Amino acid sequence: MAYYICGSLKDLSASMIKSKNFMFATQRSAYLSIITFVFSFFILTSAWAQSDTTDVESTDQPTTEAATSQGGISSDPAVITAGEALFQGNCRACHAVNQKLVGPALAGIYDRQDMDWIKAFVKNSQAMIASGDEYSVALYEEYNNTMMTSFNFSDEEIESIIAYVKFEAENAAAAAETPEGVPEDGTTTTATGPSKYLTAVIVGLVVVLLLILIVLFLILGFLTKFLKERKDDLDEADREMIDQKFDFGKLTRNPAFIGIVAFIFGIFVVKAVLDGLYQVGIQQGYAPKQPIAFSHKLHAGQYEIDCNYCHTGVRKSKSANIPSANICMNCHGQIKTESPEIQKIYAAIEENTPIEWVRVHNLPDLAYFNHAQHVAVGNQECESCHGEIKEMEVVEQFAPLTMGWCINCHKETNINTKGNAYYDNLVELHSQHSKEPLKVEDLGGLECAKCHY
Amino acid sequence: MYHKINCLLTIALTGLLAACGAKGDRTGYEYSPQMYHSVPYDGLTQITDQDAGKLISNREDGKGEFYNSNPNNPHEMNMRQPPANTVSRNQYGLLPINIHKDSFDLAAQVLKSPLPDNEEVLAQGKELYERFCIHCHGSTGMGDGLVGEVYLGVTTYNSAAVKDKAEGHIYHVITHGKGRMLSHASQLSPMERWKIVRYVQTLQKQ
Repeated sequence: MAYYICGSLKDLSASMIKSKNFMFATQRSAYLSIITFVFSFFILTSAWAQSDTTDVESTDQPTTEAATSQGGISSDPAVITAGEALFQGNCRACHAVNQKLVGPALAGIYDRQDMDWIKAFVKNSQAMIASGDEYSVALYEEYNNTMMTSFNFSDEEIESIIAYVKFEAENAAAAAETPEGVPEDGTTTTATGPSKYLTAVIVGLVVVLLLILIVLFLILGFLTKFLKERKDDLDEADREMIDQKFDFGKLTRNPAFIGIVAFIFGIFVVKAVLDGLYQVGIQQGYAPKQPIAFSHKLHAGQYEIDCNYCHTGVRKSKSANIPSANICMNCHGQIKTESPEIQKIYAAIEENTPIEWVRVHNLPDLAYFNHAQHVAVGNQECESCHGEIKEMEVVEQFAPLTMGWCINCHKETNINTKGNAYYDNLVELHSQHSKEPLKVEDLGGLECAKCHY
Repeated sequence: MYHKINCLLTIALTGLLAACGAKGDRTGYEYSPQMYHSVPYDGLTQITDQDAGKLISNREDGKGEFYNSNPNNPHEMNMRQPPANTVSRNQYGLLPINIHKDSFDLAAQVLKSPLPDNEEVLAQGKELYERFCIHCHGSTGMGDGLVGEVYLGVTTYNSAAVKDKAEGHIYHVITHGKGRMLSHASQLSPMERWKIVRYVQTLQKQ
């Protein structure tokens, strides 16, 4: 009988490979088709990626042409590079090409005023304003009576800066003009491509395997039915195989089976109860929603702003402190001003109301902890207690903050005694009866009254 | 039947205990909560709900055990701002210098660093610079920090316009801000500012 099934399966598969039909493919043919599928996928994607790069190249060309085609201001790359260096060194603090900063955006300045005016203003803006030049005075008033520093540039230097400004302005305009679909689509698909393809491949595989499973069951049912119809031709053993049925009822009445299941269930219950009890009073994993969706991942992670910049107390006092709104304003007075989350800070400042942040780390009042002691003196990294803050969109309590956790660290942490005369006598005394380096526990780090009083 | 009820009870109890832990907005349960919550006003744990912990309260005013807010302050805040027009004295005896925030030239002439010119001060200045300035001004003061590149308008220390600015000028800029930079006086003490000034001066000269 076994031979029967194999034989018929073989025939089936042979016929299916010919017809290349997934629905009735058997394991072998499915295997082959998966390989062809994956292979063609790779060829397709590589072809796609290649077409992307050619797209980008072709869109690049017209922009450089546009920059060189217009006359008046030099478009020599050497002049532009020289201008860029001067701009970065001297102008950037107050001007950007396409954005108002302290002073006006410089794009289009060559259309608004002639070259002589620009040169005169850069060399001595004060004199221009004093002379009553209409445009200069209007500028001075528009930008809060801020006087532009006078620069001792040569005419060529100023021309090169303007050449750079024009180059940048036209580049930005060209970038904005190009149809959004082509370059942006290209970059996003190449950026997120691999993971997208991977999920597509995995989903495809799962679907194919499920289909195979269904087909196999169908075949099994079909063949069993077929054999049952011809029971008379089979011998005793084969007939038994066809007729066999799994009896669940019998199993549930088996005491050994019940015993094993009850035992496993019991273990799970005891484990769950103990875990639950151990979690009482521990707020590890607490990640409350804050009134403003501030992202540590963005600020501390992507922009690498030091923790201390906002948490000003961390090296000076018991608490690291929640930053006051004026620290947010150091940047957000100028950037991201339209964001609804930032608007909440403006509203708080306007109405003079506190922003009610939700405290994440609540050390019980019965224990004393001092940030300055641990960070400034003990040289601990913020991450060793607060976890990967730089990866957290919403801050979550990382450490259990239990006494055992504190004690463990005090037992393991060596004290950096180098170059600090305060420790000299202590180290000498300690070395008389121990070969271990001086640890926090040797300085009373395990004494009750250090933290509980 | 009896068995079934027993089983259900066990499962319910397990589920209940599993809910003891903290997750998301839930703090989880506390053991002896009276010892967890501060009785005196605590600056950073503000509980404005007067009924918080009413069940276990033994307060004389009848409010909840965990209520921790000062009704005498604006917004019931526990922390207070220092009275207006007062100054803090410190161990150096430095009183704040009243120079108008726009008088950079005056500041450059008048303000002199009280710190000695030595390696230790420079090292401390560098450390402070790397914590408070580097994200905009960049590691070498070229204005190319990660934030500076999106913020724009960050001064390059060794550019012609600022490379000769006096220490008093730099101190005044940190204290009151200039251009797109705002005051950093609330984050840095006068002494810390002078230390940063010392380090910035080395970046000006590079």
